[in-house]
Amino acid sequence: MSDQKDLLGLFKTVAERVDRRSFETVTRDSVITDLGVDSLSMMQIVGEMETELNVQIPDEDLVEIVTVGDLCSKVERRLA
Amino acid sequence: MKLARRVAVTGLGAITPLGNDVATFWRRLLAGESGVQFIHEFPTDALRSDVCASVSGFEAERFLSKKETDIYGRVTQFSLAAAIEAMDDAGLGGLMKADVPGGLERASGGCAVERERIGCLMSTGQGPVDIFEQQIERSRERGPRAVSPFFIPGVMPNSSAALVSMRFGLMGPSFNIASACATGTHSLATGAMMIEAGLADVMVTGGAEAATRLNTVAGFGNARALSRAKDGDPRRSSRPFDVARNGFVMGEGAGALVLEEYEHAKARGAPVYGILSGYGLTSDGEHLTRPHEDGRGVKLAALQALERAGLGPDAIDYVNPHATSTPAGDIAEVRALRGVFGERLAALPMSATKSLVGHLLGGAGAVESIAVLCSIRDGLVHPSLNVDNLDPELGPVDIVRGAPRVVKVRHALKISAGFGGHNCALVFSAPE
Repeated sequence: MSDQKDLLGLFKTVAERVDRRSFETVTRDSVITDLGVDSLSMMQIVGEMETELNVQIPDEDLVEIVTVGDLCSKVERRLA
Repeated sequence: MKLARRVAVTGLGAITPLGNDVATFWRRLLAGESGVQFIHEFPTDALRSDVCASVSGFEAERFLSKKETDIYGRVTQFSLAAAIEAMDDAGLGGLMKADVPGGLERASGGCAVERERIGCLMSTGQGPVDIFEQQIERSRERGPRAVSPFFIPGVMPNSSAALVSMRFGLMGPSFNIASACATGTHSLATGAMMIEAGLADVMVTGGAEAATRLNTVAGFGNARALSRAKDGDPRRSSRPFDVARNGFVMGEGAGALVLEEYEHAKARGAPVYGILSGYGLTSDGEHLTRPHEDGRGVKLAALQALERAGLGPDAIDYVNPHATSTPAGDIAEVRALRGVFGERLAALPMSATKSLVGHLLGGAGAVESIAVLCSIRDGLVHPSLNVDNLDPELGPVDIVRGAPRVVKVRHALKISAGFGGHNCALVFSAPE
């Protein structure tokens, strides 16, 4: 669980940095498009998470991502 | 017979080293103040120039969201701010979208002008170089996966035209024109051409630059194009037509002019600053950086502009020359002007805006055109600074010095010339 929490925390930190606004209330169930994150900002967040964690998320993983939790799970799998 | 479409100027906007609106810029130009300072942002020990003319007190948050200030470079931000002032001035601010910074109060005013008939040519010569530097550095430090997906839309030179057209929902033609130091002038000429051709009724046109960076100062400096502080005083470094001139001063800022088909402007009761009555666009076709020594291309551009305006050289009351303050540039330009005006050049008032604000590169022609339109409106010509000893090689010329001069300007000539041998001349005429 602690890993999951950390990734959610990292998502919020990175999203706040690239979108310059608060993501405080975001949970793993939050739908990314509902957060007002457009496709370019989403790619910016992914790029930031990749470089922070030193992993690469393959593009085929990205098409299946709907919620913040989906993204965290994909990252977790690549970290494992 | 169908009457030709004429082009009026109905709005002005400026971000400059002498102030971040047209009124302040013009007041300080008339006062003969210098916007040139020492470069503070990076060390200049190894550079051939130590001075620049910077914009200060620019409040980006008035025009852009925080996220947008990260995406768009300084030049794009200046362009937007100048365009907004010009649109407000033209009475078109009500076209702004409600959900953007500053949009709500403007949009609630409303505006009935068709967005399909309005385009944008807010150009830059060098593009958002700060964004380029930042993302290249990021890639070097953190790898290519860390490069922002906004890098390309942020660094593209047409980001200004894109941002302005998005802000106002403009659906007419919009793009970027680049001709180095003639960029703003070429944008005005092209905007006018598009209105005359019936492709648009309104064009938000002009130019901007914000490229004073370590490596651009190195590049211009190593090409021996830049000046230094004179006797320890940065304000004395930009000295067009003076015998001790030794290069230009890099400036930054933006100028925006709303061009509008004359009858369209009249029909909605818009203020008319003047008519863009003629333009000439030529090339030296000779050298990458050095102007033709007799100013052949500049002369041809001026003659074309006069012809298009239906005027002889005697009709011109004021010239705002390119006047970069480089030894070769100023002499070539004066030779070109003598070729156009003959002996009358000795009594034709001229003033070099770059002596006060430095060289705004892609923004120069637009900001200097704003000075011309203010001269037409007020009957006043701003002085040139630092012409302590007029270069005798120039022959007899009338450079306005010391104080502003009262001149009834019915027709004025504006000249610009850029690296690449690109020349553009404009004729502005007083509204009837």
